Amino acid sequence: MNRAISVTVNGKTHKHEVEPRLLLVHYLRDVLNLTGTHVGCDTSQCGACTIIMNDMAVKCCTVLAVQANGSKILTIEGLAKDGQLHPIQEGFWEEHGLQCGFCTPGMIMQALQMLQRNPKPTDAEIRRGLEGNLCRCTGYHNIVKAIQYAAKKMARK
Amino acid sequence: MATGTKLFGSSIKRREDPRFITGKGIYTDDVKLPGTTCAAFVRSPHAHARIKSVNVVKTKASPGVVAVFTGRDLANAKVGGLPCGWLLPGIKLPPHPALAVETVRYVGDAVAVVIAESAFAAKDAAEKVEIQYEVLPAVTDGLSAVQQGAPTLHSDAPGNICFTWSIGDKEKTESAFRGATIVKQHLVNQRLIPNAMEPRASLASYEPATGDLTLWVTSQNPHVHRLLMAAFVLGIPEHKMRVIAPDVGGGFGSKIFVYPEEVVVAWASRQLGRPVKWTAERRESYMTDAHGRDHITDAEMGFSKDGKIIGLRVKTHANLGAYLSTFAPLIPTYLYGTLLSGLYAIPAIYCEVVGVFTNTTPVDAYRGAGRPEATYLLERLMDLGARARKTDPAEIRRKNFIPADKFPYQTPVALAYDSGNYGPALDRALSMADYRKLRAEQERLRREGRYLGIGFSTYIEACGPAPSQVAGALGAQAGLWESAHVRVHPTGKVTIYTGSHSHGQGHETTFTQIGADELGIPWEDVELVHGDTAAIPFGMGSYGSRSTAVGGSAIVMSLNKIKEKGRKIAAHLLEAAEGDVVFEDGKYFVRGAPSRAKTFQEVALMAYLAHNMPPGLEPGLEATSFFDPPNFTFPFGTHIAVAEVDPETGQVKIVRYVAVDDVGRVVNPMIVDGMVHGGIAQGVAQALWESGVYDSSGQLLTGTMMDYALPKADQLPFFETDRTETPSPVNPLGVKGAGETGTIASTAAVANAVMDALAPLGVSHIDLPLTPDRIWRAIRDAKKGGRA
Amino acid sequence: MKISGEHQLKAPVEKAWKALTDPAILQKITPGCERLQPVGPDEFEATLKLGVALVKGTYKGKLALREKTPPESYRLVMEGSGAPGFVKGEATLRLREQEGGTLVSYEGDAQVGGAIASVGQRLMEGVARMVLSQFFRNLEKELGRKKEGKS
Ligand code: FES
Ligand code: FES
Repeated sequence: MNRAISVTVNGKTHKHEVEPRLLLVHYLRDVLNLTGTHVGCDTSQCGACTIIMNDMAVKCCTVLAVQANGSKILTIEGLAKDGQLHPIQEGFWEEHGLQCGFCTPGMIMQALQMLQRNPKPTDAEIRRGLEGNLCRCTGYHNIVKAIQYAAKKMARK
Repeated sequence: MATGTKLFGSSIKRREDPRFITGKGIYTDDVKLPGTTCAAFVRSPHAHARIKSVNVVKTKASPGVVAVFTGRDLANAKVGGLPCGWLLPGIKLPPHPALAVETVRYVGDAVAVVIAESAFAAKDAAEKVEIQYEVLPAVTDGLSAVQQGAPTLHSDAPGNICFTWSIGDKEKTESAFRGATIVKQHLVNQRLIPNAMEPRASLASYEPATGDLTLWVTSQNPHVHRLLMAAFVLGIPEHKMRVIAPDVGGGFGSKIFVYPEEVVVAWASRQLGRPVKWTAERRESYMTDAHGRDHITDAEMGFSKDGKIIGLRVKTHANLGAYLSTFAPLIPTYLYGTLLSGLYAIPAIYCEVVGVFTNTTPVDAYRGAGRPEATYLLERLMDLGARARKTDPAEIRRKNFIPADKFPYQTPVALAYDSGNYGPALDRALSMADYRKLRAEQERLRREGRYLGIGFSTYIEACGPAPSQVAGALGAQAGLWESAHVRVHPTGKVTIYTGSHSHGQGHETTFTQIGADELGIPWEDVELVHGDTAAIPFGMGSYGSRSTAVGGSAIVMSLNKIKEKGRKIAAHLLEAAEGDVVFEDGKYFVRGAPSRAKTFQEVALMAYLAHNMPPGLEPGLEATSFFDPPNFTFPFGTHIAVAEVDPETGQVKIVRYVAVDDVGRVVNPMIVDGMVHGGIAQGVAQALWESGVYDSSGQLLTGTMMDYALPKADQLPFFETDRTETPSPVNPLGVKGAGETGTIASTAAVANAVMDALAPLGVSHIDLPLTPDRIWRAIRDAKKGGRA
Repeated sequence: MKISGEHQLKAPVEKAWKALTDPAILQKITPGCERLQPVGPDEFEATLKLGVALVKGTYKGKLALREKTPPESYRLVMEGSGAPGFVKGEATLRLREQEGGTLVSYEGDAQVGGAIASVGQRLMEGVARMVLSQFFRNLEKELGRKKEGKS
């Protein structure tokens, strides 16, 4: 009944036999032990599970592991390169864009796609871009500032 | 005192963030143990029913099942019910079994647990549990439940009344009302569902060889969890149980309490000799995390001719849900009734509260806990008073502030405010908002048919609980102090152990700022350990904005002991009298001779080498302290919300939000601002969107994130914040607490802004949340009323 | 949750009536119905597998046809429960000749509990409509097949 899948996560290819109903988020968390991707809901609302799959931000609680077969995935664990924080990670740290940190990985991955598509967003565009990501701690104030920080820093590069 | 040093008061970046922004935080569900089994709970779909039978034959035969337990199994094993940690005179304490035995009393009440090799296997098998129910009539709101003929939840609580409690002087209030201008309002403070982003989880591991039980749990207070579970529920020796709360993804109160799931998981692990894990699905969080608020209130405020408040009368029905959650009785009583003086001089107050059982999820502390309810009530009445008297809402407030020269001030509802100066915060907020200009703008827009409103909330909060003696006299089943242990290592590096536990507040940063400052050592040399009962002396945890005021102060006490012992060692090394040795910037030296100094590190090393110690002094350098403050702390402030209402759609837009808070001295302003932002967002959401709704049969209609309206980024503005600083006299840091101010103040500010906007349309009050639908109806009804 | 609607069948009333009261056919045309076993006159035990989001699961329950007035109407009373919660309800089915075929109209009220209730009525209504439309499509097919079989 199990199906073989091959998935490249953060540059490393993994092969596993999985139950067809296994969600990608549980594959990442429980099989690959990449627990930075979180599960905050069961209705695809919170965005805590946002990852980049084939260059698209997706909520991986709505993707089956078997659907990810052959795909390229980036999770929060793979974002910093050679110990160097990504400007978005830096922005969240500098601007205090997190408190409990639970929504943070999803926020950061969502911001990554947002800034790729729109490198100079307005505050309102950032707020709209976070429509699918919930944070219960920060009131979003500093998250918006964190993403602006990253946008500026990335523009300089 | 830490004045004049460099880290106190500086917005240094948080130490915990690198792990969170790289996905390396460890939350309870991230903890993996080999051989772990998974638990799935079978829950009642009925709000009220008798359990006729539970059949688990097919469940047990389901693939991968390790064990199935029902309420009977737990009862037979003498597992105790969930305890209530706060008692009131005459309170009814019906039993609350972790798994229901005879009766289920709310949708989500757990009936059985299936433990299996995987989460899938457990869930598959849970579907096969066959339960026969005899459905009973249900009641869901606090007023209906006390009416004659309402279904009774617990035979030992007739009329569903858990307690009747009052505070203040009834006669005095009655007589004050004679001749007063009275404003009256019926107010519903709706039920809220906490929604910490990390769902509750627990993982228990029992080691049969040693008899040690370890529980990882999403907890704001691991020691309280251990005490209540070991002593009152599981009946195991407290020293054989270790509770670890790793990174906690938000709590807002909901992770204070002992819940059935962690009890069952811990017990089952002991039965099975294997680790057992449970992580809530969000829909389980909605059904089973303790909810907040849910008051139905009639309130009256009397004003004298010159606009002074002369009396306040309040009657509240507080919905407690189906069972008493851990601190449920405290919230609508001592955290609510005692706050009804606000920051106003009110000569006579009387408040009566009826605590009521209903067929709903238990209700307990949720961010603010009782104080937002009190503030909302007072601030709505102040606005209604201002409107009735045609006075400016800012001025009626100022007129009634307790004057700055009247402190300490004894309110008629038990609290004694130690310090306060309320005018400056109001002035600052008015000037930040540019109040006059705002009013002019409002006028201009009104002429264009647009409806802008300006809403005030001048609030006070009692936080930092403590003191223990008072808490004990008021019914607490625990003390409310905090512990701190400071260990200096031979190299002069320092570990601080605190009984407080962060669930987002950044203690690893703030508390080490305090430590580094006091000892004059680099911040990097100080480490914080929290959230593990095996490492830390008994502590009370984090809630009620108490961590820095109580926990931080305990740290200061221990640091002082360290410094004193260090002084003895240094004096000995410097061959000087102890009284002549001073400690500055991490160095001990004889007063006036700083060049010949012993560094803190040298002294620490000597404490452990012990080659050359003052006679009679023990080696080592560590200290434990327990801080029990003499009083609560009293943060206060003024919040101003500016909102525009579209009368065609009833849509509200928050245009601006100004918050001026006085939380005493501030260790890390960046962190405090962050908490204020988050708090405001939650309070705004109560005003405009959030509401936990049951249908008449007791089904939770807002059981997912699709149905329960959590605030999103594009619904909120940036918040304009500032502070005044009145140090608290009750702790050595002068801090007060900032975790709840935003939530306490903002609901009323937004509600008042919306009512101010709607004033020209003849609307004076709408119950929360102020959804477009409700606003639109209120406008329509007011128009109809106007015509008739 | 109230639900009502109608559906036009090509088959004549008598034939539609027969199909709509025959447990074997009912089982076949009800989406996800795995079992419909008579336990008394016009009373059945049923197992139903429904799969939509949180509502997904196996429901077990009882079904009864009451107040049968052939070939015009009956009242369907049902009660079932499963892991996602319970469903309880009743509906009246009316058959009337129209345009040479049969117009089936139904009107009912259902109560749901547990997870099914918490996902909100708007989702439930969609599910109910989907199930019903599939039911009638199956019925249509069934009636058509019968016709072909006979001729
Ligand atoms: S876990 Fe909430 S959207 Fe995926
Ligand atoms: S930081 Fe806690 S949910 Fe966003």
